[in-house]
Amino acid sequence: MIRTEQISFHIGVFALQGVSCEVPTGQYFVLLGPPGSGKTIFLECLCGLKKIDSGRVYIDGREVTTLEPRARNIGYVPQDYALFPHLSVEQNIAFGLRVHNFSHKGIMDRVTEIADLLEIRHLLSRRIEGLSGGEKQRVALARALVLQPKVLLLDEPVCALDEVTRQEVCAQLFRIQRQLGLTTIHVSHNLEEAFSVADRAAILHQGLLQQVGSLDELLRKPNSEFVARFMRCENIFCGEAVAQNAHTCDTKVKVGDIQLRLSGRYNGQVKFMIRPEDILVFRGSGYDVQNENLVPAGLERWRDCGSYVRIELNGPVNLVVHMTHAAFAELQAKHQPLDFARDRPDVIVVLRPENIHVLPGF
Amino acid sequence: MRGWRDSIFAAAFFLFMAAFIIFILTLIISDIFYIDKKAVVAVITSRFIRHALWMSIWTSFTTTVIALFFAVPAGYVLSRFRFPGHALANSIVDLPIVFPPLVVGLTLLVFFSQTALGRWIQEDLGLEFVFQPKGIVLCQFVAAASLAIRSAKTAFDDVDRRHENVALTLGCTQWGSFCRICLPLAWNGIIAGGILTWARAFGLFGPLMIFVGSFRGRTEVLSTTIFLEQSVGNLEVALAIALLLIFVALIAITVIRLIGGSATVKL
Repeated sequence: MIRTEQISFHIGVFALQGVSCEVPTGQYFVLLGPPGSGKTIFLECLCGLKKIDSGRVYIDGREVTTLEPRARNIGYVPQDYALFPHLSVEQNIAFGLRVHNFSHKGIMDRVTEIADLLEIRHLLSRRIEGLSGGEKQRVALARALVLQPKVLLLDEPVCALDEVTRQEVCAQLFRIQRQLGLTTIHVSHNLEEAFSVADRAAILHQGLLQQVGSLDELLRKPNSEFVARFMRCENIFCGEAVAQNAHTCDTKVKVGDIQLRLSGRYNGQVKFMIRPEDILVFRGSGYDVQNENLVPAGLERWRDCGSYVRIELNGPVNLVVHMTHAAFAELQAKHQPLDFARDRPDVIVVLRPENIHVLPGF
Repeated sequence: MRGWRDSIFAAAFFLFMAAFIIFILTLIISDIFYIDKKAVVAVITSRFIRHALWMSIWTSFTTTVIALFFAVPAGYVLSRFRFPGHALANSIVDLPIVFPPLVVGLTLLVFFSQTALGRWIQEDLGLEFVFQPKGIVLCQFVAAASLAIRSAKTAFDDVDRRHENVALTLGCTQWGSFCRICLPLAWNGIIAGGILTWARAFGLFGPLMIFVGSFRGRTEVLSTTIFLEQSVGNLEVALAIALLLIFVALIAITVIRLIGGSATVKL
């Protein structure tokens, strides 16, 4: 378990501002944030490489705030791995063991064991120069794991890898983390990485921890517009509460020329969001456009994004919808193929109240 | 595949390199043709010239070792730490590089003969430098150590700090991280600085004439011998000594390069 209490650190004009979080033993925690948000600095504070201005760091209940990096029992894999170029792969992995004066046999046993675990035994005699990105990543991981640390800190561990290798390495990271039951903090700016490994995640922005929770919470219950946008939600609207229904505990909110029903009671200005994959789109007749949360819209354009189709709709509110290829094909086949350029066909959009999330503190 | 533009580019750049090398070789060859057998024999058989050669070699190598001893920690501090007056300290380190050589000699002479501290070192501590062989090393150190420090700083600048950080998390102390990671990675640059320092020390002339003089069999080094020989009209002997100096320098630089690895000079 690693816990931080109100960590503050400043360098130049940038400052980490009272970052508190807890990662239970055996959890894979992903710290997300845009470049420059302070993720690497936060990791360096945890390692003891940066001396924090205030706050405390605990590992397995023991305060390590003032301890040197070597006394914290943390495995650290920096961005670009920082492998020692003057040493071989075997020497890189064995480095920590040699520093700790392990016997020759002890070193060989541990190096072989970790190399087998990471499937890099065939690389042991190689020089660092000439290893592929994925191989370097695994060597750096082996070097960090060979000392059996209590906590593993990974700084953008796969950002320099191609897509296929990234997926493989993420899968391997997750497998090894589960196998060793290692408390892990993985820093990234990439959502796909988080989805492939995270038990829990947090978002850091301008040195402030914005939100901590499961990925589902971050996706569907963001606590700020920044978190919503970082989690790639483009449908964020401002409206005004016009009526509350005491019986159903919901509120009608006027947005532009339409009114939408939102679950919960709200007054005054309301900012809310709906995820693009939670919007239903229908085509053809049979829907009463006067009904609540049924919005007529025109199809503006669409783009194939590989695993989904991104559709832009305009109407009383402009919306972005993510559809599966199957759903999009069905939409096209309803009457005749969609011809966006010619007729901008109309559709009916359903915004279910339970899928609409009101952003707090607006 | 290389196009004709690439070939012209490479050829043009090679042309400049070749022109410089040919120019230097031409100068040396013209010296070789100028000297006669008698001058060569005089140089080889002269006890004083052998002594001057030995003085040149041991003083320049001693200076280089002392300079590197200072350069490694000083270069590391300038590279890794930011402190008040960092820019000024950086400039002061470079100052002896731009000193006119005579100023180094004059400054040392004034310090040791005209200041209380200098006189205390010479008279009370008994460390005599003025007109002494030890003074040659001191002169060379002042004139050349900056090159070693500058090279060491550049070499440490090139070592990614994250390597040291990782070593710290793997159990190293700051000293251990420096010895196991930083120093080996900066080694080539430090050796390059050593080569520059040695070359500067080996050929130093002006400050030596002022601070230690050129006493036969005592404080004479090859560079001052050349000056003395040409000043009394023995131009052939002076050039023969110069060729000896060039020959020794060529061997020394090549050997240091081979021992020290792929040392490249960066300033």
